[in-house]
Amino acid sequence: MIDEQILIKRLQNKDEIALSLIYDNYAAALYGVIVRMCKDEDIAQNLLQDTFLTIWEKADSYDVDKGRFYTWAYRIAKNKTLNFLRKPSKLIQTDDFSVYESKEQTKTSTDDFLSLNGKIASLEEHHQKAIELVYFNGLTHREAHKEMDVPLGTFKSYIRQALRELRQSYSKVISFLMILIEVVR
Amino acid sequence: MDKTYIIENGVLEQYVLGELNSSEQRQVEDALHQYPELKETLESIEISFEQLGVDNSIVVPDFVKDKLLNKIKEDTKIKMVSAPEKNYKTYFAIAASIAGLLLASSIYLYSELSGAHNELEIVEQENTLLNESIYDLNSSLSEVNKWYITINDPETEKYVLKGNDLMPEARMISYVNDSKKSVVINTKELPELDDQHNYQMWADVEGVMINMGIIDKSKDMLAMNYVDNAESLNITIEPAGGSDHPDVSQLITNIYLK
Repeated sequence: MIDEQILIKRLQNKDEIALSLIYDNYAAALYGVIVRMCKDEDIAQNLLQDTFLTIWEKADSYDVDKGRFYTWAYRIAKNKTLNFLRKPSKLIQTDDFSVYESKEQTKTSTDDFLSLNGKIASLEEHHQKAIELVYFNGLTHREAHKEMDVPLGTFKSYIRQALRELRQSYSKVISFLMILIEVVR
Repeated sequence: MDKTYIIENGVLEQYVLGELNSSEQRQVEDALHQYPELKETLESIEISFEQLGVDNSIVVPDFVKDKLLNKIKEDTKIKMVSAPEKNYKTYFAIAASIAGLLLASSIYLYSELSGAHNELEIVEQENTLLNESIYDLNSSLSEVNKWYITINDPETEKYVLKGNDLMPEARMISYVNDSKKSVVINTKELPELDDQHNYQMWADVEGVMINMGIIDKSKDMLAMNYVDNAESLNITIEPAGGSDHPDVSQLITNIYLK
């Protein structure tokens, strides 16, 4: 795998292959976020395209000192989706969007489809819910703590604990992989 | 923002999620710059969220990527097609700027040129005036020389005519040279007359007054007509333009010649 920093440099130099590779790395994860936020795959596909167009055009404004590339891309995707959802004319736009591709092909939207996978699924329910609200539903901490009907401080600690647990399980996976690599050697 | 505050208030989580306003965001970025250990905490939060995203990836249909790449190619093409236009615009702008500068400098030079023309004209006028002055001075000089030579000639006799009772303040000097047959007078001390009258000079030859000419008061030194065998020089006041015969009652001065 090409080093991410080199890939980003190439992207900033308007290298289309770099964009293609970055898309391969991140599109599915960002799409997962967008679909869960807007709950419509057609809209999500257009928003994803829009997100990557912005990544392409604004690549220069990404600064590695301010955080990871995925974080930057996630914020773009989230803002685009929130802006779309806040638009009063979104119903009309939805119709326009769906003209592009046949709906049946991509329409699989069920609760199952949108349910959370991976380590988060094994977290305590209130931790899971807190993460889902801020990360996949695009709520702010202030909106989310009201949604869960807990004080803001409590909500913040939910997020912190949830992240800690996720981190532990991820590092377990990483340690396991490291051991596996050692064994294979 | 203080480091402890940032960690304990979940500010980094909100930073990653893009919930902060621009001023809060800048404060966090400043703090990250200041405390490198904060950067580690941030990175672990980012990795957790990123892994969460990856865990919950949804496969994107292939056509989405195709559409995206086509769109970028189209945009690039449009840019490439429109780029030369931009260049033309740039060149046009440069050409226009140069033309503007040339026009401005032409106007400037033209005004300078006409200014120079004007100055030249003035200089030429001054030059003409100076030439005239030189001519005048030269002619004055040659006149003065002439007078000087005449006056300084050993043959020249000097006569000072003094005014009579009619005009006691009047004085006139005559230089008479019989060998050269010349009479030169200095009119400086003759009082001014009104417009209606002139001084006229006469030579007495055997009792007959012969006209030597009207005295032009505008000149200090004046050559008069020489008359042979003159016995005396006489000056009368005559009507303007002079007379053929003197009005003896208006004689103001006379002197007998040697």
